[in-house]
Amino acid sequence: MSQTTEEMKTEKEVVRLKDNKKTKHEEVNLKGTFASVMLLGGFLIITWLAVFILFLVRNG
Amino acid sequence: MHIHKLEKIWLVFGIGMLGVFLLILGISTFSYGLEPPSAHQAVNMENLYDTPPFDELGLNKLNDKEYEAILTAYVFGFNTGDEEFTVPVGSTVHFKATSPDVVHGFEIPGTNANMMVVPGIINHVTYTFDEPGEYLILCNEYCGVGHEIMQTTITVK
Repeated sequence: MSQTTEEMKTEKEVVRLKDNKKTKHEEVNLKGTFASVMLLGGFLIITWLAVFILFLVRNG
Repeated sequence: MHIHKLEKIWLVFGIGMLGVFLLILGISTFSYGLEPPSAHQAVNMENLYDTPPFDELGLNKLNDKEYEAILTAYVFGFNTGDEEFTVPVGSTVHFKATSPDVVHGFEIPGTNANMMVVPGIINHVTYTFDEPGEYLILCNEYCGVGHEIMQTTITVK
């Protein structure tokens, strides 16, 4: 199985973090996690608002 | 404790979102009375049809274009008194309902008039009928083998 460059990079990063106990938390790359959280948050807001607006419209 | 910059953003975002949703729900509940049936308005089922307001089922006119509709939901129908409900266009109707047997539903499809009808508890919902027509009232809570025939109407003209 061939790994993508991105996966290899991530693995290297994990190894590096395990080796270096002094690595600062700030250095961890959380951009992907951040994007996932924001996408999920956006989905929740849109669906919640859609139902709430439907309720308001029907309230006349 | 050190928190990553991006973690801070999504924590604030998540907690803020929860706060806003709960605030809107709180306002709806306490200011507009959009709450689930509660034991605050209980009725004794043993002699339900002798207990006000269920001793006189049907429509009561409160004001000009404001009515109170007293009904019960039973297996398998709605007891609306001597006749089906009829109100003029633009009327606001306060429905008050309970059940003498099992849990039922009260729904006017396509509107926000939707509540559970629970034995021993008086539930209420208010709706203003701005459009003329015959509105279906049905049970949306599976109550037994005759559930699908359980319906009545309210005529607005």
